[in-house]
Amino acid sequence: MTLDVAAIAEELRRLAAETASWEHAGWSALHAAVRDLDETDLRQRLRTAKTSWLLARAIQGYRGVSPCPPQPERYTVVATDGSVLNPDRHSPLRYYVINLGTVVLAYGDAPQARMESRARLYAGEEDLYLSDLSRRVPISGTVLGFKRAVEELRQAAELACSLDPPVVVLQDGTLILWGLESQPEFVVNWALGPFLEALAALRDARVPVAGFISYPGSSDVMNVMRVSVCDYPPRGMPVNCDHCRARIRTEGHRPACDILPDVTDRVLFEQVFKLTPGERSPVYASASTILERYPEADRINFFYLHTGAEVARVEIPTWVSRDRAMLDLLHAAIIDQCSRARGYPLALQEAHELAVIRAEERREVEILVDRMLAEHGVVLRRSAKERSKRGRYV
Amino acid sequence: MSEQPESLRLGEVIETSTVGFVAECDELHCLPPLGSLARVNGPEGDVIYAVVTYGETGSIDPGRRVVRRGSADLRDQAIYQQNPELRHVLRSVFSAAAIAYRRDDRLSYLLPPLPPPLHYSVERVPTTEAREVTDQPRYFPILAQYRGEIPADQLLAAHARHLYELRGHDRDWLERAARELARIFKHDYDRLVPLLEALDPDLA
Repeated sequence: MTLDVAAIAEELRRLAAETASWEHAGWSALHAAVRDLDETDLRQRLRTAKTSWLLARAIQGYRGVSPCPPQPERYTVVATDGSVLNPDRHSPLRYYVINLGTVVLAYGDAPQARMESRARLYAGEEDLYLSDLSRRVPISGTVLGFKRAVEELRQAAELACSLDPPVVVLQDGTLILWGLESQPEFVVNWALGPFLEALAALRDARVPVAGFISYPGSSDVMNVMRVSVCDYPPRGMPVNCDHCRARIRTEGHRPACDILPDVTDRVLFEQVFKLTPGERSPVYASASTILERYPEADRINFFYLHTGAEVARVEIPTWVSRDRAMLDLLHAAIIDQCSRARGYPLALQEAHELAVIRAEERREVEILVDRMLAEHGVVLRRSAKERSKRGRYV
Repeated sequence: MSEQPESLRLGEVIETSTVGFVAECDELHCLPPLGSLARVNGPEGDVIYAVVTYGETGSIDPGRRVVRRGSADLRDQAIYQQNPELRHVLRSVFSAAAIAYRRDDRLSYLLPPLPPPLHYSVERVPTTEAREVTDQPRYFPILAQYRGEIPADQLLAAHARHLYELRGHDRDWLERAARELARIFKHDYDRLVPLLEALDPDLA
């Protein structure tokens, strides 16, 4: 053991105490902000606000709680999850693997389960690199993550569209591919094209899809609360975060929104809006820039949902949020799924179990590659650093 | 044989050794009874006969614990109805101890020369064949030396009772079995008496 835990424990203790007391200080201000929220004034503020944060846009208002609708007598849930073996830069073989876990669970008169995992190896030039003639981007790391997301949604859509309704599709994580915002145009097109095709196929088949985010770290609604307490509008100025923040340094200014605690939407809906198990928040529209590339009907909206174990974020396409029956079906199905697996959708849990590539399996593939190369007289020389980690000595 | 091969299959060998094997059942909970006879048809025409020594049902993934699914209103078979994924994440496995093998139509009450291959089918032994294999309880010493999950005496008692039923309450066979046990345990009265009592249908 090389980490001296004792050396950092004292500082961690101090940090924990400080964080707790600071959060506590902002609590009453947050409760007051929610209590005094004037939605007409807020809409006015949001129209002209210039902020550096994502602001949740209300569709049916910022406040309000919807109880869990009655459980459907029967429904089918389709969930997919993927796991990857990244390209190994120490190996002369260039490839990656996507292992997709697929789960179909049908409830009602004839309960059924279909569970399978499918591994696919990608090794062709077009699988390994993206190119726009002038640049070549290797498909690994973050970029491979986009491919995995595409494959997960494509597989789920293909399957779900062939099943008898009512069917819901669940995905683990966000449906907003915001990570593409920092990518070159040809990478965006490569990833977004098939992703949007799968979303459109689901819309055409009228199969509602949801991205389920457990323990979400987003603050879109909390950011709106910050706008609501901003002291610029009473002084006749629009909310302008850049301007306000610049004055911190030049004038020692203290932003009005600093009275609010630095908490996420999850905490806001759990402790201030006080969602109870089964309840959901109103549906909001995300202001993420990448959504401008989505067709209007498929732009992602979201709501927060108390699963019984936590407040999770659920992302849905706009067309689902406009259809009350679809929204209710999804809401009820997710709650039912969560009740079957201690607060996390059962279908997603099982899809993950089917997809996950364990350390010993990764090692098994490495050994297989070594052996196959050895059969052709190629003895794999790993990097010195890699060798030093594998054969540890004193 | 009147029974179809499909109806005989119990599952598949997932662990194997000279002394026996572990098999995973094709269907959840469809375990063969303790002490019953199972067989594996080997690649060279050998048939290995084994006695079921243990059964269990649990999570397929050893890292995942089984948790309660029911309540006062949802119990037993209804739990499986309501949770269709259970048959994919749970499995039933059983162990069996090899007692004999058949090669070139000759039955030997010895451990097989080779263990049954992994992934080969494990089958129930049809009644007629089971009667033939067990007709002479000469394999009892192998079971008496069994070291595994359950005591050897429990295994012997379960096997003898199962065979007695299978053989249509064959008193002659039971007598042969009792005599063989008396021979094996002639120096261990404390083990013999409870075993004979367990076998006696009039005491059951």
